[in-house]
Amino acid sequence: MFLVVALQGQSSEELFVRRIQPLLQDKCLGCHGRDPEKIKGELDLRRPDALLKGGESGKPSVVVGKPQESPMFLSVERVHDDWEPMPPKQAERLTSEQLRWVRDWIEKGAALPGEARTKEILLTRKAAWDAEDGVTMKSGGGLSPEWDGRRYKPESLWAYMPLSKTAPPSGGHPVDAFIRARTPEGLKPAPQADRRTLLRRVSYGLTGLPPSEAEAEAFLADPSDDATAFAKVVDRLLASPHYGERMAQHWLDVVRYADSSGFANDYERGGAWRYRDYVVRSFNVDKPYDRFIREQVAGDEIAPDDPEMLVAVGFLRMGPWELTSMEVPKVARQRFLDDVTNAVGETFLAQSLQCARCHDHKFDPIATRDYYAVQAVFRTTQLAERPAPFLPTENQSGFDERRHLLAAREGHEETLRQLDEKSVAATEAWFKSSGVDDAPWKEALSKAGKVRGSRFAGARQYLLSRKVAEDRFPPRMLGWTPEEIGLERIARKGLERLKWELERYEPFALSVFDGRTPKVASVNAPVRPPADPFAEGEWEDAVILNGGDPFSPGPKVAPGVLGVLTAVPSAVPSFPVGRRKGLADWIVHPANPLAARAIVNRVWQWHFGKPLAANPNNFGSTGGRPTHPELLDWLASEFIAKGRTFKDLHRLILSSETYRRASVHPDPAAIAARDPKGESLAVFPPRRLTAEELRDSMLAATGELNRSVGGIPCRPEINQEAALQPRQVMGTFAAAWTPNPRPEQRHRRSLYVLRLRGLPDPRMEVFNQPPSDFSCEKREESVVAPQAFALFNGADSHARALALAAKSARDADDAEAVRRCFRAALGRDPSPAESRESLAHWARVKSLLGPKPAPVLPPVEVRRDAIEENTGTPFSFTERLHANAEFVPDLQPADVDDRVRALADLCLVLFNSNEFAHAP
Amino acid sequence: MRPDGTFPHPRLARRDFLYGMGASLGSVAFTSLLADEARRAGVSGPHLPAKAKNVIFLMMEGGPSHIDTFDPKPALERMHLKEFVREGKQKSAMESGRRYYVRSPFKFIKAGQSGADMAENWSHLAKVADELCFWRGCTVDSVNHPTAMYQMNTGNRFGGDPGIGAWVNYGLGSVNKDLPGFVVLPEASHPQGGAANWGSGYLPARLQGTPLRPKGAPVLDLLPPHGVSRDRQRANLDLLAKLNAAHAEAHPGRDDLAARMESYELAFRMQAQVPEALDLAGESARVREEYGLDSPVTASFGRKCLLARKLVEKGVRFVQLYHGSWDSHDFIERAHGNLVGAVDRPIAALIADLKRRGLLDSTLVVWCGEFGRTPDNGVRQGTAYGRDHNPNAMTIWMAGGGCKAGHTFGATDELGMEAVDLKRHVRDFHVTLLRLLGLDDNRLTFYHAGRFKQLSQFGGEVIRELIA
Repeated sequence: MFLVVALQGQSSEELFVRRIQPLLQDKCLGCHGRDPEKIKGELDLRRPDALLKGGESGKPSVVVGKPQESPMFLSVERVHDDWEPMPPKQAERLTSEQLRWVRDWIEKGAALPGEARTKEILLTRKAAWDAEDGVTMKSGGGLSPEWDGRRYKPESLWAYMPLSKTAPPSGGHPVDAFIRARTPEGLKPAPQADRRTLLRRVSYGLTGLPPSEAEAEAFLADPSDDATAFAKVVDRLLASPHYGERMAQHWLDVVRYADSSGFANDYERGGAWRYRDYVVRSFNVDKPYDRFIREQVAGDEIAPDDPEMLVAVGFLRMGPWELTSMEVPKVARQRFLDDVTNAVGETFLAQSLQCARCHDHKFDPIATRDYYAVQAVFRTTQLAERPAPFLPTENQSGFDERRHLLAAREGHEETLRQLDEKSVAATEAWFKSSGVDDAPWKEALSKAGKVRGSRFAGARQYLLSRKVAEDRFPPRMLGWTPEEIGLERIARKGLERLKWELERYEPFALSVFDGRTPKVASVNAPVRPPADPFAEGEWEDAVILNGGDPFSPGPKVAPGVLGVLTAVPSAVPSFPVGRRKGLADWIVHPANPLAARAIVNRVWQWHFGKPLAANPNNFGSTGGRPTHPELLDWLASEFIAKGRTFKDLHRLILSSETYRRASVHPDPAAIAARDPKGESLAVFPPRRLTAEELRDSMLAATGELNRSVGGIPCRPEINQEAALQPRQVMGTFAAAWTPNPRPEQRHRRSLYVLRLRGLPDPRMEVFNQPPSDFSCEKREESVVAPQAFALFNGADSHARALALAAKSARDADDAEAVRRCFRAALGRDPSPAESRESLAHWARVKSLLGPKPAPVLPPVEVRRDAIEENTGTPFSFTERLHANAEFVPDLQPADVDDRVRALADLCLVLFNSNEFAHAP
Repeated sequence: MRPDGTFPHPRLARRDFLYGMGASLGSVAFTSLLADEARRAGVSGPHLPAKAKNVIFLMMEGGPSHIDTFDPKPALERMHLKEFVREGKQKSAMESGRRYYVRSPFKFIKAGQSGADMAENWSHLAKVADELCFWRGCTVDSVNHPTAMYQMNTGNRFGGDPGIGAWVNYGLGSVNKDLPGFVVLPEASHPQGGAANWGSGYLPARLQGTPLRPKGAPVLDLLPPHGVSRDRQRANLDLLAKLNAAHAEAHPGRDDLAARMESYELAFRMQAQVPEALDLAGESARVREEYGLDSPVTASFGRKCLLARKLVEKGVRFVQLYHGSWDSHDFIERAHGNLVGAVDRPIAALIADLKRRGLLDSTLVVWCGEFGRTPDNGVRQGTAYGRDHNPNAMTIWMAGGGCKAGHTFGATDELGMEAVDLKRHVRDFHVTLLRLLGLDDNRLTFYHAGRFKQLSQFGGEVIRELIA
């Protein structure tokens, strides 16, 4: 017996002190002793010998030597029918290792050493156990000493460690050398991809667009060796303005870009597009990443007079947010603070911080104190739409569309005028029937000004302010039918919403300023910064909020950074201005390993479809570990050493053989056997095009794509039912989706399409365009039947197919027309068999064509059925869609002959093909 | 394509069937494949024995007043128009200005053998009162519509999490492979918070609720543009299959390509199946009359209730019906009067019809809003009595599905301001709903963003009183 114990190194006593006692503390005491008033199951484990007695079942919890008869073990093992699983929450179940400790401890005698014996054991064994059990970490200081003393598996802490200085293994391109070093034994990489495949891959990767035919021909004809010719292509693409657009799309996914505020009102954010274009510009001019971060976090503090910097901090405003009169302002304010704190962590540090909001982080060395130290940085950050003159680099075309909104405004004002007149006209009858003297009212009507354009309301206010009793003059809404009560609200709220939309054409930035927190009950119009931001409003102390509750302030904290990165110096002032600059300086400090790893990991994913560390927003212990840690660190070090320019990082990655590999391996069985998870990159991972790439590629194929860069959001046609679907917002309906009148305005790149949180384009949504409410670290690639509905049946696909058919059939014989369709859609000629099949299909479809359908034009008005919300009375109103009066449709079936109509079906099939829908 | 210029047959890989809204092979082998997939996803059908297999969830958006429907408060009679003073730290603008207690304009009756309290305008529902299980103790966290809606529908106030229907399908799997397992019948305008009320969140996208539009095409782009015949579409699909097959042969081992090919065939089948499932033409005149399809007042919600029964019959697990807005801040007599009038007959018909068909035992019907309403109101124009939002009290009722029919549980204080008996957070209701379906909330989890997530967010307790 003694021998066995010695071999396993642990007596039952030792096991108890080292493992069982802490487990009881951590997993059991919450319900069995910590609160003596609320002990569950009559089992009080404050004294562990209660285990021998048991709880309400009357059975001892532990039967010495027999784990399978011990209720304690059966409960934590969670498979026995008679004993409820413990701890009750699945997420807190014991690991298999912890189960083994419990079993061994019971088997070996279920020893319960007393206090003195425990001390004695700790004295002799603790040091050795610490070495084996993991390491403690620094943080800003936990809420409990137990948390501070918590141990972490060293491998789960990789992200907080300084960048390793491992040199690339010798031989060839450093990226290839690192990849080769981790290639499974005996697995040969796939050969290099052919030039056509490579060009398609890299064109999508760097610009999100397919190569043109001319670009393909030039690359195929380039006599230089493959590597040199490819490097030229990469340089050309990096110099394209579309490069910045593609990178911006990645970035906007992470920061949750939208042109509206979400939640109940979903007001438009008129100035958001200027932040979107700032991101495009930043990538195109290859702004160093440290500068890019500093501008987005603290641009207004760094260069308060530079309008572009006021635009850059729009980053801090990207989350959904609103303050309605139904809400407690402090709660809404805290929502912003929590949002921005977590956004900074996820975006720049790949560290989700929200888990530390209510309690110290359960898995990572991030204390609640750290969370509120970072949040304290933003306690003086206030939201405003700030004056910021347009820059010469900003695209200001198309502002004349404003007239459609002004027409809508005029319509609402007219409604209010008519209702006002109706109320005024009804007063005579009211005075007659009530017998009240109408002289004061007449005086008020003649003397008072209008209130919100209303004489009637002006007169009421005049009397109210003179303390005239309310029964001495007519009530609100006098003379209105329930329908008219509804109409008044529609018009009033419509005017309110237009203020946000008209902001689009004004020189204001969606921005922030440092100051006291303004006292406002609701935000219903763009907010301008006060003349003196420190004159009025609430001074927000930086405190820990107990349980994350803004009404439960705890200890004060100073503005600061995460304590875990002890090697990174920081200087965040307590002074209310400059805190964000201090935070940004800490994020970009060359010794900060999180920021550099986070961004090179993202860029790697942008090219290979999967990142080196599986969760680009979460490097903590619950995120995936890097598959190639040395490569990740080397790339991060290189990135910093070379001035943090993205274009150099792209060149470095794209010039590797790893990037240029074929996506088909000559020996798929070898891949399946030796690299089932596809981590070796022995073969290049192809991907489905994103929602935006699918749409842009169709427009590029037909030649309709408007390639101008930047500017106010565009509105393509979306599914007409979705466009006209009534959309409830607070107290009214949001305006219907109205496409731009002219095709070239509609056919801009998808990056520029108006993104409303409350009205995602169903076609984009179904192809996994992420909702703007959460940071998207990686696009999903689901395959669902509604995608087939959208791409095969949708009006947009049919319109593009028709445009491609018309272009291809012009002055071409049938074979040439088919060839043009293939080249435009797939970038290659059809094979002889494909050509044959296509021609036969064309002929067959011609025989199946029915009569030409009439063009479908968007309506100039829609009738809306509504329920007047206070009375439940149904009523209808007409919403006028002013822009639709000028609508110029795309090419219609009625405009072409049957030859083109039938060829369009071939084009539709090509646009739906797997080859079209994937980047190879 | 092969060197001889012919096209191979489209390959059918195992995963083909597991995408989209399900496939329609219906073979034993397929069923076992699904079970296999479900096991890998951590799900294995019901965890516990249960009666309910389907849910019809009647969501009265806007917040019905418990005080004016199923929780009479005679004490308000003597308080009527007395001034109200509210205390508490979370002052919202709704509580600004002078406020007064408001009595209910509705008379109450004791309905059925069980003597359930009902406002007398629920005259049809009263006939099935003994099938209902009332609970007056539910509380939620939010006074705002969209956040409260999200909490009721997804457990998470801030949206983005899976809807209840997604969880139920995740746990139990779907039955009809040609129809989605989670169908939503919204009003013509989507509720506040929009489609996120029935999203799949972090669960697989196929689990998200499919809204069937009340007018026009039930599913967007379900059918090709006008003038494209089924023959022509079939011809296009055939060419697509050939091109894709050639491409797949050149790209071996790619499950995603095969899945995408199958999704087109499934879509083609759905084009035929979905309109059939929604066709009410075959229903008898008696049924149409019962559901109120012939009256303009009840036709809209009656159609939804009848569709819900048909969808449940076809194996759709979770059908959610929206009605409202019940946000009656003013003129509650007229507003709630109209709203009750629109749903009373259809709901009563649905319960009776389910019972007659032997479906009520296996179908849990739930009626609720996102919160209750206050006993007080700022009185407008002297007579416009209404009620504001109240997260501290609301009434939920259930029918069928193993709930304790013919009983009323829990209570609010004498004014209906706060729940005082069997007062439980809505997360406990979610846990109870899952339990009625045989699902254990603590085991119905999905690992996402660093932790196991569940409908109740952090776990909850079954409200045992509500279960038969």
